Amino acid sequence: MHDADIKACEEVIKMATEAAESKWEIKVPDKPLKDKLYFENLKSVVIDTEICSRCLTCAAVCPGGIIVVGDKVDFPDYETKCLDCGACVRVCPRFVYEPLSGMGSSTAFIAGRSKRFAGQDGAMVTELIVSAMEMGIIDRGLFAGRNENWETEMFHVRDPEQLAITTLSGTKYTFADVLPELKKAVKFTKNGVGVVGTPCIVSGVRKLQQEYPIFREKVKLVVGLFCTENFHYSAISQYLRDKGVDFSKLVKTDITMGKFIATMTDSEVKFKVKALEEILPSGCNVCCDFTAVEADVSVGSVGSVPGYSTISVREAIAVKILDYIKEQGYAEFGEGDPGQLGFLVGHKKKRAENLKK
Amino acid sequence: MKKVTVQDQGLVEKTKCHAAAIGVAMKESVYPLTATVQYPRQRKKMPDNFRGYILFDPDKCINCWECAFICPANAIRMKEAPNKKYYPTIDYGKCIFCHFCIDSCTDSALRTTKIHDVAYKDMDEMVTLTEEMIEPPEIVREDTKLVEYQIDDKDLQITKTREVDNLFVDEVPPSVEIPVVSQCIDGASCIGCHVCEYVCGSGAISSSIANGVMNMAIDTDNCTGCGLCVKECTMQILKLVRK
Ligand SMILES: Cc1cc2nc3c(=O)[nH]c(=O)nc-3n(C[C@H](O)[C@H](O)[C@H](O)COP(=O)(O)OP(=O)(O)OC[C@H]3O[C@@H](n4cnc5c(N)ncnc54)[C@H](O)[C@@H]3O)c2cc1C
Ligand code: SF4
Ligand code: SF4
Ligand code: SF4
Repeated sequence: MHDADIKACEEVIKMATEAAESKWEIKVPDKPLKDKLYFENLKSVVIDTEICSRCLTCAAVCPGGIIVVGDKVDFPDYETKCLDCGACVRVCPRFVYEPLSGMGSSTAFIAGRSKRFAGQDGAMVTELIVSAMEMGIIDRGLFAGRNENWETEMFHVRDPEQLAITTLSGTKYTFADVLPELKKAVKFTKNGVGVVGTPCIVSGVRKLQQEYPIFREKVKLVVGLFCTENFHYSAISQYLRDKGVDFSKLVKTDITMGKFIATMTDSEVKFKVKALEEILPSGCNVCCDFTAVEADVSVGSVGSVPGYSTISVREAIAVKILDYIKEQGYAEFGEGDPGQLGFLVGHKKKRAENLKK
Repeated sequence: MKKVTVQDQGLVEKTKCHAAAIGVAMKESVYPLTATVQYPRQRKKMPDNFRGYILFDPDKCINCWECAFICPANAIRMKEAPNKKYYPTIDYGKCIFCHFCIDSCTDSALRTTKIHDVAYKDMDEMVTLTEEMIEPPEIVREDTKLVEYQIDDKDLQITKTREVDNLFVDEVPPSVEIPVVSQCIDGASCIGCHVCEYVCGSGAISSSIANGVMNMAIDTDNCTGCGLCVKECTMQILKLVRK
């Protein structure tokens, strides 16, 4: 080894030793049900009352990874396996639920269309993540991809070339296990992680960041998606099959102008979204956040012309990335119309009433 | 073309060389010195860190699975013992005798021996169970002489002594590693799950709750630096640092 290398090693060791401590403190979260396990508290306050959004923040942080996730959040043998650490109640955005709504601290409202990628609308979500990766702000982005049955699968995108898998972009109207994957990403990342999610997932990320510095340090970019509702895979897939959708030919699902449109290679199935109310998850039914108000930047389809994504810019980091995209000429930009969001924002705000029930 | 001629050494020198050659020939015919070890009647002396048959001491095993993880030949399977702990078994049909397992074993539960001549009837028998690794295997010893090679600056010296070598390495030489201990680098990210406390075999990690605050502490005197807690910490906030 060269002298310089040895010096560098010594420096690293010194730094690690300086930051290290052999004593530390943890605040123990409050328990509404005093003599019950924390998971029982979470169960009675959030899961049994059916306000759980299935954001999986709890599953992400549970040390044993023993909170299992199917359609519903569950922990079958919690009596014996729960370590009673209280991490789940600390991070659950709905344990103490103060519904957010409105537009958030939006500083700019624009429309955009990526020239490099294809996506649901203008593929600006993909563009934002990839550009952030090129700028060196993050070294990986989490994408919700899907298999041929349209079940969601998480992917760590570390190179723009991976987006040759066309199923990574585009909207899947089923829940994705974003946050448990974010925990893994935080473990492996060197520079930082970029994450995309519906408003409930964004709230989960913020809660993790609020409670644990490691997430504050490692999660550098949070892209929110506009969202009225999402669906359980078993329910929506059954519904679509009954409507005659052939999953092997399905290429795109979309909700526009109050209609659900499933585009297949040879045909199209269309029906009113209102019909989906019977399979609306109970957690979405009490969610008032349409624009993911806590995200650094939110993207959706309403508010711009077809083929463009609507971008609601909030944090400086998003401004920086959009400036870079403009500079490189990666995307075309236009005007966004926040007025068009009024109806959906109002529609979701009304769901606060369901919470009282 | 250049012709190479043998250097003329003179009559005296020549006679000397011939006499020496005749001397060696006569000595060899009376007391031949072969380089070949007459195994199994003779055995070569092996160094103490010879990579041979592997022994295991369950009392020292801390259940870290490090041996199974590191084995490049996938020869180690962990099997559950009656006491609910998992102990290694080695398939000698796969083992390449690299001894990575022994090197990785933090508490010297795995130990080398100088035994290299175990015979098996079939492949199944080569799967060595934990209980068969505790005691040395039965081997037939017919050796009466110990052969030692020594290379000095001129020649290979072979000494054969009437001696039977001890094939066990009783004393494991103390490791000269830099002493390390586990420390927390981001206390605020700790979720208080106690997993580190549960896995620590030397009871170096402790916790107590007072007034809604949990106090965690690592006793650096008791910490052996095995790194088990560092591996198990779900938030990755423990690190091994120099003592
Ligand atoms: C469940 C859901 C409901 C939505 N509802 C509305 C709505 O009512 N009104 C509206 O204007 N817009 C809605 N959107 C947003 C819209 O469908 C587009 O995702 C958005 O316009 C971004 O388009 P894009 O072309 O820029 O993104 P793309 O470049 O195509 O990228 C899409 C990104 O979304 C991620 N993603 C896809 N599905 C999921 C999922 N289920 N969970 C987490 N991440 C996912 C992908 O990983 C990808 O990163 C919804 C999105 C979702 C996922
Ligand atoms: S182990 Fe901790 S995080 Fe997991 S369910 Fe129990 S209290 Fe919640
Ligand atoms: S809302 Fe999210 S964190 Fe809370 S119980 Fe449901 S999935 Fe877990
Ligand atoms: S000696 Fe090498 S190959 Fe054999 S069990 Fe140990 S690690 Fe595996």
